[in-house]
Amino acid sequence: MSIRFEEVHKSFGPKKILDGVTFEVKKGEILFILGKSGMGKSVTLKHIIGVLEPDSGKIHVDQFEVSSMFTEQGRDLLPKVRQRCGMVFQHPALLDSLSNFDNIAFGLRTPQYREKIGREPSVDEIDSIVREKLKLVHLTPDILSLFPGEVSYGVQKRVSMARTLAPGPEYLLFDEPTTGLDPLSTSSINELINELSRTLKVTSIIVSHDMACALSIADQILFLDQGKILLMAPPSEVVKSKIPLVSEFFQETLSLLPPDWRFE
Amino acid sequence: MNQPQNPLQVHFKTLLLAVGLLRKLFAQASRGPHRKNEIGHAVESIGIGSLPIISIATGFTGLVMTSEIAWHMDFALSNVSMIPGFTGQFVLRELGIAVPALLLVSKVGASMTAELASMKITEQLDAFKLLKIDVVSYHIFPRWVACILSTVCLTLISITITLLIAMITAVTKYHFNSQEYLNTLGQFINSMDLICAITKAAIFGMLIPPIASAYGLRCEGGAQGVGQATTDAVVTATLAVITVDFILTAIFSALL
Amino acid sequence: MIERLNLYLERSGQAIVDVLHEFGGAWLFMGKVIRIYRKTSGYGKPIIAQVAEVSMRTMSTVIFAGVFVGAILVLQFDAMLRRFDAQALLGGLNTSATIREVGPLIISFLLAGKIGAYTTAELASMRVTEQIDAVESLGTDPIQYLIIPRFFGIVLSSVILLSIGLFVSVAGAVLVAQSFSGMNIYQYIASIPRFAGAWTLFEGLVRSTLFSTIVATISTFKGYTASGGARGVGKAVTQSAIYINIYIVLANFISTSLLEWIHDFVYWIAGILGGLK
Repeated sequence: MSIRFEEVHKSFGPKKILDGVTFEVKKGEILFILGKSGMGKSVTLKHIIGVLEPDSGKIHVDQFEVSSMFTEQGRDLLPKVRQRCGMVFQHPALLDSLSNFDNIAFGLRTPQYREKIGREPSVDEIDSIVREKLKLVHLTPDILSLFPGEVSYGVQKRVSMARTLAPGPEYLLFDEPTTGLDPLSTSSINELINELSRTLKVTSIIVSHDMACALSIADQILFLDQGKILLMAPPSEVVKSKIPLVSEFFQETLSLLPPDWRFE
Repeated sequence: MNQPQNPLQVHFKTLLLAVGLLRKLFAQASRGPHRKNEIGHAVESIGIGSLPIISIATGFTGLVMTSEIAWHMDFALSNVSMIPGFTGQFVLRELGIAVPALLLVSKVGASMTAELASMKITEQLDAFKLLKIDVVSYHIFPRWVACILSTVCLTLISITITLLIAMITAVTKYHFNSQEYLNTLGQFINSMDLICAITKAAIFGMLIPPIASAYGLRCEGGAQGVGQATTDAVVTATLAVITVDFILTAIFSALL
Repeated sequence: MIERLNLYLERSGQAIVDVLHEFGGAWLFMGKVIRIYRKTSGYGKPIIAQVAEVSMRTMSTVIFAGVFVGAILVLQFDAMLRRFDAQALLGGLNTSATIREVGPLIISFLLAGKIGAYTTAELASMRVTEQIDAVESLGTDPIQYLIIPRFFGIVLSSVILLSIGLFVSVAGAVLVAQSFSGMNIYQYIASIPRFAGAWTLFEGLVRSTLFSTIVATISTFKGYTASGGARGVGKAVTQSAIYINIYIVLANFISTSLLEWIHDFVYWIAGILGGLK
């Protein structure tokens, strides 16, 4: 049970974004994907849920091959993959025309969820799932009746996480979860990710710039540059790496931390 | 798209801003700086950039409309001798002016709004303010002058194209001799018609940029705001063109 | 100078290629939407909701524009007919021209902004803020959830709005004819049936449906395929407005020629049938 990339290539026009990317994430792990901006980090995530089609190469989610699902027949299997994956987007990406409650419940009212539990979920059931997930992301029920435009950006991010968690995914994909947040919200969101991954026993893939957070909660860290993988290793090895970009990232992070900070 | 304010109030305030802009533009036109280089570039992008679209679109519209009018005349009066005068007048007074103006609203007006609106929300306009650059004289004025010049030229071009097409229709369908056609046409239209056409076109060209810019300058709130501003600008400018067209038509038909 | 000319030629060539590319893309997109619509079901409610929303939002603008379009035409025709001393024909001529040609064209230009640009703006900002990707990742087809209700909602409501706009401009023309040109209302109305009958209405309806489909297709297509942040939204909206206008002008030409043939054909058949009797 894992997510596996095999020699994936993708370019937009003349620009090569992914150039032969191969890696594997095992069940229950937290993987951080780090790299400079515009180096194909978000694109990697969108390949997993089948929003983007790779030019060549194979992508496996559990026993399913996502990369073969862009034909007429293959399309029918795509819901099975998306059932397993939940994606938290860089922007909260909440639907403006729906209340926060309806946004969180969105994934519970789809044919895909009906198929998963084998019946139509009742109104009470949806209500209880929404409230349960709301508690998981540390929000109070009074925001449920408001619209996304009426709550702060940090709350929108949490609502967006609750929406992703609602259908009960086995893989969580985060696209820069802390971009555009103040330091306090950033650390609380990072804690939340750690907590969710450990308590729900889900596999998480997190695209981020935040090396400090990566070092403290990741099981594996993957560095992408120019569409290629520079390094994929646990934090203890990343710290010792001599690869220029990786050590630059690390030194830069160190300079931001208090002088007595040590990696344990 | 949620709007906190009453939309009518927003439109009204934006129109007031547009009137203010128009006043500033006239003031700058009278005292300078005229920024002739910038105007040249703007003419190139607005006028020459719209030329293919305008000529194709008015050509086809003219083809349809003139043959319609000819058919109506033939049907109503059972007399085709008036076709040149009738189509010529309709083209010169209405069709050749309104259609290019409406097309320019969405071609030029919309892109002006979109440009200013994205400058506003990416805080480029604030940067202008810090640098003590007046966005009206620096950015809007050259485009305004260019838009007036281009609208007049494009209108004249589209009138020529439409009249040519009307003549071809008359020659092929109603067996006119082209010399005869031109002679009859000359009896019905005079220089006053041409002056009216140019005046109308200049006024339309004068109206579109301030309205478009006002919506761009008042844009708020991210990608959604840019879309909303552009939509509003297109609609308001279209309505303004139609309304002003009616007023001018009424004035000219009273004068002539 | 030659270099400049070359540049312009190159640019206009590129523009033609772009237009054709857009046209093909829009055509394929419409095919996809209709195919998915026929394979799936349950769109009644969302489509009706869209029709209601779009009509409510656009009604006042269309009525306003309709009155002025009718008024402009009546002034122009009046000035021309006066020269030929044929004012008695004003009502018929004006009504026929409004319903068949000028009305649908000008009101569609307005709808291109009010409905087309609006829908493009809405969908494009959903696209660039990843809302459409979010809908897809939660297991709902965005074409089914977002595009199909809008597409058919726009087609239906545009036909309704165009009909209302045409009616209003015909009615507005009557008022203007009376107050500005001193026409006798009864004389005006009496001359209408001479020009405008069932066939005129049919032509107006065909044209309205055609233009509505163009507005619906281009606006959803440009919005759905937008990219590149706020700038991208602005670009999509601008292009949507201008492409809708161009396609409407071209469709106007094609539909007029086709309808003329059909008209002649129908009357030819009718003539033969009459002869047989």
